[in-house]
Formats: sequence, structure tokens, C-alpha cells
Amino acid sequence: MIRRSIDQKTKILLGILSVIALIIGYTYLSHRQQQANPQDTTIPSWSQLKDGVVRSIEPNKRSGERWLLVDSQATGYRLFLGLTYGIAGSLLLGILMGCFPKIEAFLYPPLSVFAKIPPTAAVAVFMVMAGLGTPMYVSMIAFGILPTMAIAIYLTVKSFPDELQFKAYTLGASNAEVIWTIIFKFVLPKLIETTRLMIGPAMVYLIAAEMVFGDVGFGYRIRLQSKLLDMSVIYPYLALLASFGYLMDFTLRRIALWVCPWQQQH
Amino acid sequence: MTNSIALECRGINHWFGANKVLFDVNLKVGRGQFLSLVGPSGCGKSTLLRAIVGTHLPNEGATLVDLAHGVSEMTPIKGPGRDRGIVYQHYSLFPFLTAQQNVALGLKLDQTSIPFRLFQYPKWRQLEKEHLKLAAEYLEKVRLKDALKLYPHEMSGGMRQRVAIAQALIMKPEIILLDEPFGALDESTREDLQRLLLQLYDQNREAKKNGDPPPYTLIIVTHELNEAIYVGDRLVGLSMYWDWKKSGHTRCPGATVVYDRPSPVFEPHEIREYEQFEKQREELRQQVFDPTRLQPIDQFVTYWDDQKHGKTTP
Repeated sequence: MIRRSIDQKTKILLGILSVIALIIGYTYLSHRQQQANPQDTTIPSWSQLKDGVVRSIEPNKRSGERWLLVDSQATGYRLFLGLTYGIAGSLLLGILMGCFPKIEAFLYPPLSVFAKIPPTAAVAVFMVMAGLGTPMYVSMIAFGILPTMAIAIYLTVKSFPDELQFKAYTLGASNAEVIWTIIFKFVLPKLIETTRLMIGPAMVYLIAAEMVFGDVGFGYRIRLQSKLLDMSVIYPYLALLASFGYLMDFTLRRIALWVCPWQQQH
Repeated sequence: MTNSIALECRGINHWFGANKVLFDVNLKVGRGQFLSLVGPSGCGKSTLLRAIVGTHLPNEGATLVDLAHGVSEMTPIKGPGRDRGIVYQHYSLFPFLTAQQNVALGLKLDQTSIPFRLFQYPKWRQLEKEHLKLAAEYLEKVRLKDALKLYPHEMSGGMRQRVAIAQALIMKPEIILLDEPFGALDESTREDLQRLLLQLYDQNREAKKNGDPPPYTLIIVTHELNEAIYVGDRLVGLSMYWDWKKSGHTRCPGATVVYDRPSPVFEPHEIREYEQFEKQREELRQQVFDPTRLQPIDQFVTYWDDQKHGKTTP
């Protein structure tokens, strides 16, 4: 029978097995490649990968830069600022749209159109508007996630039961208090959830834009090394991106449990 | 016993386009009364309740509340306010607050402001402790002292309605409105909560005995006639089945008060016997719920006359 549950031990065993299979498979492939051509870096051996990691960490011979350091700083800073502005903007717009029908009628049509434009396609617009460099990336990320996120928050505010709003008034709340004390709290879990979901797209936008316009950053480095077919740097970079994504997801879920304890058993 | 009026509906008319809902609804609710509002579905019970809560004001007419406790004129309402508490059937609690926080919320919203809570944080925390303590006392009143820290989704439907009642009570409003509060509960929980309301009524009688103003005034909207008779001390029927032809209308101008009589008062611990309700239930069925009998309205709208003449329960 399909979909029958298996016990925990088998589950863990199979998980470990898949990792081992991956390592063995990779080792075999790279070994075969090395025998054909020891200089080849398309499927680097483990020692070549180690060299690649060392090369990204140590100061570069020509420029004196530590690649990983400068790239992480640049990409991290852009991502952080972009997400911060994007989240703050969508929270503000989402709540305003959900609470005030006039703002809703005014903002919903353009937002729903903007939500359909791929931000990477519009990156030239941000370059013209904000100039090359950090402001371009930041505005691209912020405006890239804003429409979708603002609409998600706006829909959550719309779903807030009328009864609870009326009740808040009968308990002596002012409009501002309903928004600040009630609606904001109600929206908080959704805000954290959409943030979790938007980190992925934000990273895609940023890396793609860095590949085109960057002179530093993850996207830029990956593009350079791709041209050289040097995977010994690219693989560690990819691993780092994956762990970053995983860590962010984990952290945000923890934060959600901590700030929204009422969501635990939902 | 002098009856001071806590709330009054004056000539309330309401319609949605061509659909006439309420016609000249006049209702005075005395302080300390437990008024059961019944009527056929679609008669505008909810519309009237919304008009009283103030979330949807009527097209014509006004609701007045005795904010000054008889010292000066009654105040017409302009919107929902802390003087009228409400308990809804669904969504009765804020999902992100514990039982205790839910009950304390009214004190927080009513007594403090956002700037106070932000800029005088230590003072606010001090005050919050008092609020939570008082909230715990109110939860004990509705027999929920073990559920202080539970979130609404961790509580049963009956517990949630208890918390909602405590949440309304703590504000000491002029009147508490209950909109089909026990409609979603099973029979035994429902009876439990009805008894809780009777205990409140008991406290009213206690207060009257001591010469104090009764603390609780209540309007309960229900579709369950037994509940209406059991919980209330006054029965009001709202219906569109009345002799509107006689007053010159060509079509029904909307529902109005067609029945207003005292209803028997029960002790909370008394075993309730449905047979006792039979006579009044029959009366209600004929006068309020029967679409084929369009009867004159004055015959059964006798509550205040009965009061004047010292007639009480039928």
C-alpha cells in the first residue's frame, strides 16, 4: 500500500544513506574526470574543493581581497537593506490598504500589476532611477518583494473578523488602537511567514542582478568562476547560500514561535 | 420599585433599498432587566442589535443610553462605545491573547493610550499587573480560574463564551448585548451558561434588595424560545407579521415589536421544567412566529403597563 508511514529509524537511516550516496557518486564522477585530465576543475576533486575554499578565504594574490569576506559583506548588506525596506513598506501599505478602503481602491490596481513584473527584468529601471551600486540592488529587492508581500498582508487584514473589530470598539479602543494593538498583532504571524517565503525570491533577484551589473558579491563571483569553469569556488559558494537560506528559515520559524505563541498548535 | 431606563430605542426604521426591515421600533430597557429578544428569522433582530451596538446605525431613529444615570438627558449613540458590551456567537475572543489578557484588554484600551504605554512603560507595566489581577477575579466569577493562560484555540466553545462574558462584564457597561451567544454550543454547556446568566440576575435582585442599582442589564438575542423564557425576565418579540394593513400600508413596512411581556424568573439552581414555559411559548408562536396571523400589536405589548399595575410573571 502506498503512503503507509515508516518508523523513525528507517527514516533517519534512509536520510543518511542519501547523503552517503551523493558523496560516493560525486567522488566517483570527479575521480573519473581527474584521471582523464588532472587540471580539470569542472568536477573538482575533494582536495581541489579545499583549495577553492582556501582561495576564497585567503587574501587574493592580485587584488589582496578576501573574496568570501567582501562578497558576503556586499551581498549580505544588499539583501538585508532590500528586505528591511521591502518588509517595512509592505507592512505599512498592507495595513493601510486593509484598513482604509480609499487607500485600497487607490493602491490595489497598480500593486497587482507590479506584482506580475519580474524585478530582474526591470533592473534597468532601478539602475536609471537609483544609480548603479547598492541603491540599485536594494531598491530592486524592496520593490521586487513589495507588491506580493503587501497584497498578502492586505488580504490578511481584510480577513480580520468584523466582530472582533466591533468588540474592540466596545472595549474602548480608538481607531489607532485597533490598528496598533489588534490588527498588527493579528497580522504578525502572516508577516513572518511571508518574509520566510520572500527570502528565496529576494536572493534570486539579487544574485541575478549581481551577475549582470556586479563588481563584487556572490552573483558576480559565481559568474566570473563560471566563465573559467572553476567549480571549486562555485560549489562552496552554493553550499554557503544554501546554509544561509536554511539558517534564515530556521531563525524565522523560531522567532514566529517566540513572538506568536498562539500560533503553535495551528 | 422605580424603573430607571438604561437604554432606549426611539422610532428606529431601517431598510436596505426596497427591503424594509425595521419599522418604528420603540423599546425602553430598564436598568437591571434581562431582556430576551426573539423573532422569526429575517425579522431584523441582528439589524436591531447592530443599531444598538452602533456598528450599523439605523436609517431613521436613534438609540439613547443613560450615561448620566438619570441625572441628565440620555445620550444618543453615534457608534460603538465602551458603554455597550457585546458577546458574539463566533469570533468572540482575540485569538492572540490568553483568556486573562482577553479579559484585561478592555481595561487596557479604555484606561490607557498608545503614547502612555510606549513612553511610560514602567508605569504601564505596573498598571497592567493590576488589570491582569482584576481579570483573574472576573474569570473566577465565570468559573474559569484554571484557564487564565489558555489561548482561545485551546479552549472549548463554552469556555470561550465564558471568557467573552467576563470580557464584557469587566467594563461595567450600561448594557450587555448577547447575539445568539450559545447558539454553537451543545445542550449541557448551553444550560450551564444560561445558569451563569441567572446567577448574574441573582446579583441584580440582591442589589435591589439592598437598595443599590442593579449592576447588570442585558439584551439576549436568541432563536431558542426556551432559552429566551428561561434566561430573561422580559420577553420581546420582533416580527413582520402584524396588521400593517390596518395602519394604511399596502405592503409590510418592516418588523416591529409585536410582543413585550414579563417572563418568569428562575433561580440558578432550580431544575428547569419545559412544561412551565408551554403557555408563553404558545403565545409567542401565535403572536410572533405565525405568518398567517397578522394581529394587532398593542394587545401583547404590555410590559410597562403590567409593571405599572404590579402584574409580574404570567
